[in-house]
Formats: sequence, C-alpha cells, structure tokens
Amino acid sequence: MLPALRFAQVRRRFGRLAVLGGVSAAVTAGEVLLVTGRNGSGKSTLLRCLAGLLAPDSGTIEYSEDGSPLDAAGRRRRIGLVAPDLAFYGELTAAENLAFFSRLRGIGRERGDELLRRLELPPDRPAAALSSGMRQRLRWAWALLHRPRLLLLDEPFQNLDAAGVAITRGLLAEHLASSDHGAAPGLAVVANPVPLEIGSVAANLDLGA
Amino acid sequence: MSRPTSTWVREAAAVFAKEWRCELRTRYALNTLALFAINTLVVVSFSLGPLGVAPGASSEALPVLLWLILLFAAAAGLPRSFVHEEETQTATALRLAATPSALFCGKVAYALTLLVALEALVAPLFLVVMNLDVARPGLLIATLAAGGFGLAVCSTLVAAIIAQARGKGTLFAVLSFPVLLPLLLLAVELTRGAFAGGTPGVALVQLLLYDGAVTTAGLMLFPVVWNP
Repeated sequence: MLPALRFAQVRRRFGRLAVLGGVSAAVTAGEVLLVTGRNGSGKSTLLRCLAGLLAPDSGTIEYSEDGSPLDAAGRRRRIGLVAPDLAFYGELTAAENLAFFSRLRGIGRERGDELLRRLELPPDRPAAALSSGMRQRLRWAWALLHRPRLLLLDEPFQNLDAAGVAITRGLLAEHLASSDHGAAPGLAVVANPVPLEIGSVAANLDLGA
Repeated sequence: MSRPTSTWVREAAAVFAKEWRCELRTRYALNTLALFAINTLVVVSFSLGPLGVAPGASSEALPVLLWLILLFAAAAGLPRSFVHEEETQTATALRLAATPSALFCGKVAYALTLLVALEALVAPLFLVVMNLDVARPGLLIATLAAGGFGLAVCSTLVAAIIAQARGKGTLFAVLSFPVLLPLLLLAVELTRGAFAGGTPGVALVQLLLYDGAVTTAGLMLFPVVWNP
C-alpha cells in the first residue's frame, strides 16, 4: 500500500501567538506538497508538527507506511528532515556524524559513505569546520540516511551553490521516483518562502503573505 | 514502537561511545570535574587537614565533605550532556534518530563512567590528605559505586529536564538537590561506617533501593521529558 500523509485543521499557538490557524492538505506517494508563505507564517512549525517534534494544539495528522498508521513517535523515527535548525556534532567529522546516526538507526556505514560521495562532502572534516553550504549538504545526507519514505524539507536549497542544488534536486527526484526504499516511491513536503520549480508538485499550500 | 533488545543495546552503546568521543576531543567535563574536585580538596585539606579535625570527630565530619566535593563536582560537569545538545541544536537530530530509553541509558553510562573516574581520583587523595584510615574498604567502594550510580542517574534526568529551560544552573540545583538528599544522607552514613568500621545495616539496602527507584523513574519519565 502506498504511503500517504494527510493532515486536517492543524492548529498551533505559542502563548498568545497563533502560528497555525487550522491548515489542511494531503499528499501521496510520488508527490510533493509545496508549502509557501512569508517568514513567520508557520511553515517550519507545520513541518515540526508533521515530523512529530511538536504536538499540534488541535487537528489531526495521519501518516501510514505499508498500510500501518504511524503516531508522532513512529513518524519521528521514520521521516527524513532537512531544516535550518538541524545541527550535528561539531567535534565529529561529517563521516563520524553519519556513522553515529547509522548505528542509532541500525544500518551499515556504507549508506553514509555513499551519501557523502554523492553529496561531495569532505568525510574527514569536522562538522564545525564545514561551510554553511556543506552543512546543508550534510543535512541532506542525514535526512536520506535511513531511506525514509516521507521527506520533510524546510528551505531545502538554502545556502547551496549551483552544484549543490543540482545534486539535491537529483536526490529528491530519485526519492520521489524511487525503488530505493522498496516498491513504493517516496513523498515529500517542501516548505519555502517562495514557490519552487520542482517536479510532481501535487498541491501548493500557501500559509499567507 | 518497540525495538529488538540487540538494537536497543547497540543504540545505547552508540550514544555512550559518541559522548566519550566528543568529550575526549573537548575535555570540557573531564577538566571541569577534575579542577573543581581538586580545588575543593586543596581548600579542605588546607583548612582542616589531618590536624584540623579532632581525631574523634574526623570520621563523623569528613564523609560529609567527601560527598559534598563529589556532589558539587558532578553538578558542575554533568548537566552539560543534555544542555549542550540543546544549545548546539543537535537535540533535534537525536530526537528523530534515537529510542528515548536507549538514549537515556547511554547518557547515564557516560555520566557514570565520568563519576567513577572522579571518585577514583578524589577518594584516594581525600584519604591521603586527611590522613584517614578506612576500616572497611569494601564498604567504602560499595558506597562510592552505589552512590555514584544514583548521582549519575539523577543528574542525567534532571539535566534532560532543565536543558530546554532558561536559568539552567539555578534549575539544576533547585530540582536535583531535593532528589539527591536521600542519596547523600545514606552515602554519608555508609561512608562513616566504612571509616569507623561499623556495619552497613539497612543503609546499603536503602541506597540500592534508591538507585533502583530513580532508574525506574528515569526510564519512565525520560521519554515524556525528551519528546513533546
């Protein structure tokens, strides 16, 4: 059964500030849901709710893989996230960071090595010494490490040079088409302040100007 | 979501190894704990020394000082394990990749090994500078082990609670010291017994039960504290 994400009337407040005022959308395998809106419109908050990192005040989030619905804890373990506030251990090299998370996820080091090569990351450079563009590439490597079916991408091309954008767009296209994670192709929710030209956009959820 | 035991153990071991690898490259906690412990030990030895405490009173008063040194050295270095994760924003990646209970146990194992190293440094030095004889060394080692374990578990749990708050230093003291009070009272009583040659009585059993209780509470509370 194809993975699918559906959320309805998701609301989230921070104190008296209403950030999400009841948003709804759905996306299925092979598709991208594009979330746009000005800075502060709630794009990152929505992605954190979808990732299971933030509990919405109300509303429903339904996500299933292989026909099994996943709750927030299940989503946390399964999704791949690229986000500006995602950081890695500065004392460890890029390869050591990926090796650590590979051990946590119970997968071999080869996948991390492969992603380091594909994203043209220097494996032996400490994460603290990576440029902002290289850190963004490392976020992509981290997000794809466990071959997730659902990718949540918050400003995914931020700080990337032209080559970095081309590589990550290629990885996203593979993810959506892919047989990489079994029979079902992946799906993605992409949040960006302005619309992006990416393939297979099923819907554009505009959180407001 | 339940995970196979082998995977869980591998996760906890990965967290433990990562903590030590990062620590050996920065030496923040090692330096903080060692410097704090040695500084206070020097102050205590100069102020009291072997002659500063009446011979009869030494086995009564000095165990308190030993445990205060261990407590404050631990409070100076251990909370960093979770505070650093939040401050450097690595907590998000960890939340998404690690099983909470395995993460907690990996962090506790790291804190425990740090404390064992601290105790191995402080306790012999303390005995030497205070010119103390230990009538029951086995009891002293058991007390340091059980007390260190409780201290590691409590410190790790409280560090996870305060990591997401402001005023972390104050909060650590406010939250941890009431929880640690029973441990300190029991550890001091047992250390007195070890110095004076008394029997442990029920105090050692109580300390082990305390360790079991805080470990159970930690494993139950940590997923709630760690995740939204």
